[in-house]
Amino acid sequence: MKPIDDDTLQAYADGELDAAASARIDAALAHDEILARRVRQARALRAQLRAAFDPVLDEPVPARLSARLRPASPPAAGTAVLRPMPAARRGLAGPRQRPARRRWVPGAAIAASVALLAMALWWRQDGGLIRMHDGQRFAAGTLSQALDRGLASRPDPHAPIAIGLSFRSKDGSICRTFTERTRPAMAGLACHAPAGWSLAALEPAEKPAGGPWRQAASSLPAAVQAAVDARIKGEAFDARQERAARDAGWR
Amino acid sequence: MDPSQTVREGLLQLLPRLRRLARALAGQAADADDLVQIVLERALARAAQWRPDAALDKWVFAIARNAWRDELRARGRSQNLFAPEEAGTTAADGASAPAQTLDLAAAMTTLPPDHREVVALVLVEGLSYSEAAMLLEVPVGTVTSRLARARATLQAHLGKDT
Repeated sequence: MKPIDDDTLQAYADGELDAAASARIDAALAHDEILARRVRQARALRAQLRAAFDPVLDEPVPARLSARLRPASPPAAGTAVLRPMPAARRGLAGPRQRPARRRWVPGAAIAASVALLAMALWWRQDGGLIRMHDGQRFAAGTLSQALDRGLASRPDPHAPIAIGLSFRSKDGSICRTFTERTRPAMAGLACHAPAGWSLAALEPAEKPAGGPWRQAASSLPAAVQAAVDARIKGEAFDARQERAARDAGWR
Repeated sequence: MDPSQTVREGLLQLLPRLRRLARALAGQAADADDLVQIVLERALARAAQWRPDAALDKWVFAIARNAWRDELRARGRSQNLFAPEEAGTTAADGASAPAQTLDLAAAMTTLPPDHREVVALVLVEGLSYSEAAMLLEVPVGTVTSRLARARATLQAHLGKDT
């Protein structure tokens, strides 16, 4: 039998040998403790190297690197100052010049926009369930309609928005919780004001385990529940009070 | 999909592995990420040269290895990117890293570039000998012997009984 050289032993330890060659080493290792120890050393070193460098895989990737690969970032961002091409100013820019007009988004802004992603998706998907007025968020579209007309005591299973609790708040206005039935679902608290339904809270909704969306009151996100607790005066409306409040225009 | 878009998305997926390879090659985290940035620039600039039948990771690792060699040359230190004692305190991040991890990362920086890149590609990134040989454009036997010598050096650093 040929003696086993270092390179072959290492190839064995690294799983590089074919079955026949491996079997030959297996046989040799069985009665050669020195050889077996060298194989263990080679494998241990490999494991230690993985232990030393694998944690890099779990580190957050610096934003300067990942931002470089986002479609929104221009091809030369971070290394070159982008100047508008003269052609672009004359309105002759082809597709290749278009990225130059995009703004470079710094890492912090990207992180912030990720945090707002759920809300942004929601806005877009429903074509405006929120409108801004004097810097405040107000219900719009089907959300506004659901808050105006919907009754928790007579839920409409086909409506896109489920109404939860209605109650009078400490400042005298009537507030209602709501949960979206379609994903990505949002849940929130809206309080009636002269300008419409002002959104006091808006959070991604969590579907209760096995339960339907209309059990909105019990499955409100914690932040929405906290907003309710901070405002509610007395008890939530019962069916009769809810209907009466609607008929009175939520005043 | 346009090929540069495919490369861009593939690079995004590969970033953690690319950072690991760069750390094994360059040692310090900051230098490794500078290297990654250079690699991304080059890969994006050459995206049109990547053929979809070639594995993107090997293609990018080859760019990384060449970029690292260029950096070494540019710094005029053909043996070590950092002095061992300098690397010893900074090669692995985090004060809680086990002493052996620090030792090993420091020991890596003492290897000659030929050896370090083989260790990084085969033992850290998990390429086969033949994949590493293709990437480095050397015979498989060369990879094997470099790896054996690099192992001996590292094991000597770590002490006899590992």
